[in-house]
Amino acid sequence: MRCMIGLDRADAGQVTFDGSPYHDLSQPITHVGVLLDAGYVHPARRAVDHLRTVAVAGGVARSRVDDVLEMVGLVSVGRSRVRRYSLGMRQRLGLAAALLGDPAVVILDEPANGLDPEGIRWIRDMLRHLASHGRTVLVSSHQLGEISLMADDLVVIGRGRLIDECPVGEFIRRHTTTRVRVRSPHIGEIVRQVRARGADADIVGDLAFSDAAVITGLAIVDVGEIAAEFGAVLHELTEVTDSLEDAFLSVTGEAAEFRSGS
Amino acid sequence: MTGAVLAAEWIKVHTIRVHRVLVGVAFAFPVLVAVLVAVFTPEPRVVFGNEVIDLISGTSVVSLLLLACLWAINLTAEYAHGTIRVTYAAVPSRWRVVAAKAAIGSLVTAAVVAVTFWVAWWVSTAVLSSRGSSASLDQVRDIWATFAALIALSVVVSWFALGLGLIIRNSPATVVVTLLWPLLIENLVSLAFTLAGVDEAQRWMPYQAAITAVVDDGGGDSLGRPWGPLYFAALAAVLVGVGMVLENRRDA
Repeated sequence: MRCMIGLDRADAGQVTFDGSPYHDLSQPITHVGVLLDAGYVHPARRAVDHLRTVAVAGGVARSRVDDVLEMVGLVSVGRSRVRRYSLGMRQRLGLAAALLGDPAVVILDEPANGLDPEGIRWIRDMLRHLASHGRTVLVSSHQLGEISLMADDLVVIGRGRLIDECPVGEFIRRHTTTRVRVRSPHIGEIVRQVRARGADADIVGDLAFSDAAVITGLAIVDVGEIAAEFGAVLHELTEVTDSLEDAFLSVTGEAAEFRSGS
Repeated sequence: MTGAVLAAEWIKVHTIRVHRVLVGVAFAFPVLVAVLVAVFTPEPRVVFGNEVIDLISGTSVVSLLLLACLWAINLTAEYAHGTIRVTYAAVPSRWRVVAAKAAIGSLVTAAVVAVTFWVAWWVSTAVLSSRGSSASLDQVRDIWATFAALIALSVVVSWFALGLGLIIRNSPATVVVTLLWPLLIENLVSLAFTLAGVDEAQRWMPYQAAITAVVDDGGGDSLGRPWGPLYFAALAAVLVGVGMVLENRRDA
């Protein structure tokens, strides 16, 4: 992300925004808003002064400072020195700085770091709100649960190489196996019928007493129809989908840079 | 847009309390010393204007070093806290950012030193006058040349600290080098040359050459005016130039 805005030198390749490299943009913060690290602020400076330096340098009206403080909920503490801020408040301040220029592209690195549950929900809603108003929001994060709730499209990178790039749902489908969980007093018959159609079915728990099974290789609709064919009563019929984290770990297993010995 | 970068750098300078404290101390020190000398000198009637100016010029050199530390801290704190990345995100041209820092440093240092110089003169001569002294500017030879040399030196010292900060990028190390260069390093280098049989080494120490041009009229072994300050300015320009080349090559 630092390479994207020219802070670090890239070994190869280039990033353009509307066809122009970042350093060629006129008043770049009005095109691209960036939050790379909530710690990039002088602790002895007041939040409002930090935002003023960014606004003035970036050619943005100073009145925007109050607007973005309002957006991120820091109006009441905007005149406090940043050293008194929690990590979550610094994240909000960093987001405020990124939004100063009302940019069409917002780039955020781990924006939910240090936020409390209310803050995490707030930033999720904020980013969805920004995206719903036509902005491009690029978020880098290892908090996959959050990403699965807020992202439309994924770019998965491991050891500096592109591993996959697709919508979140497709990524999960592509890299995990969808299963169907069934509970029924006639579970033995259902399992026999499923296996007869070439699918896998595993009884959950004790074979003699269990009324549940997990079926792989058939869609939930097919399992329901099989049960209906011989009048089986169903107490549960659920599609079990792996999480984004499961999909991510399955696809990046070989690319993990560090792993424990166990 | 260049004016905007200057304005942003000015906001950065005056919104940090330690910067204001350093400016306050840099102002207060020569004024206090001049006033104390005026109050306690045992024979005020034989104190003349040239002696007051020499005293103020000498103590102003301490103020210069304090202000140099301010500019070293102002720049290197940007690396320490990562705010340089926020700055370069807003203004991708690193040349313009460094030029704005140099301009603000030059203007503020020159203004503080100029105000301090004349306030110290006015207050101390007022006290001396009340004690029967007849100290006046008429008794000072080349007062405007002395003042100009002091202002030139103040600007160059701010560049010197900026250049060191660009190269070193670390606050404690930059402040230490900024202070030790005039107080120790040049003396050690000069001593080494002298021991090696090189005469007049002291004369070619850049900071010493500039300081000597301020506190005396350039007589004796010194390079004098304007060559002393210009010689030091050349060193500061080289430091800023090298720092700028490194800044453009390094990751922010």
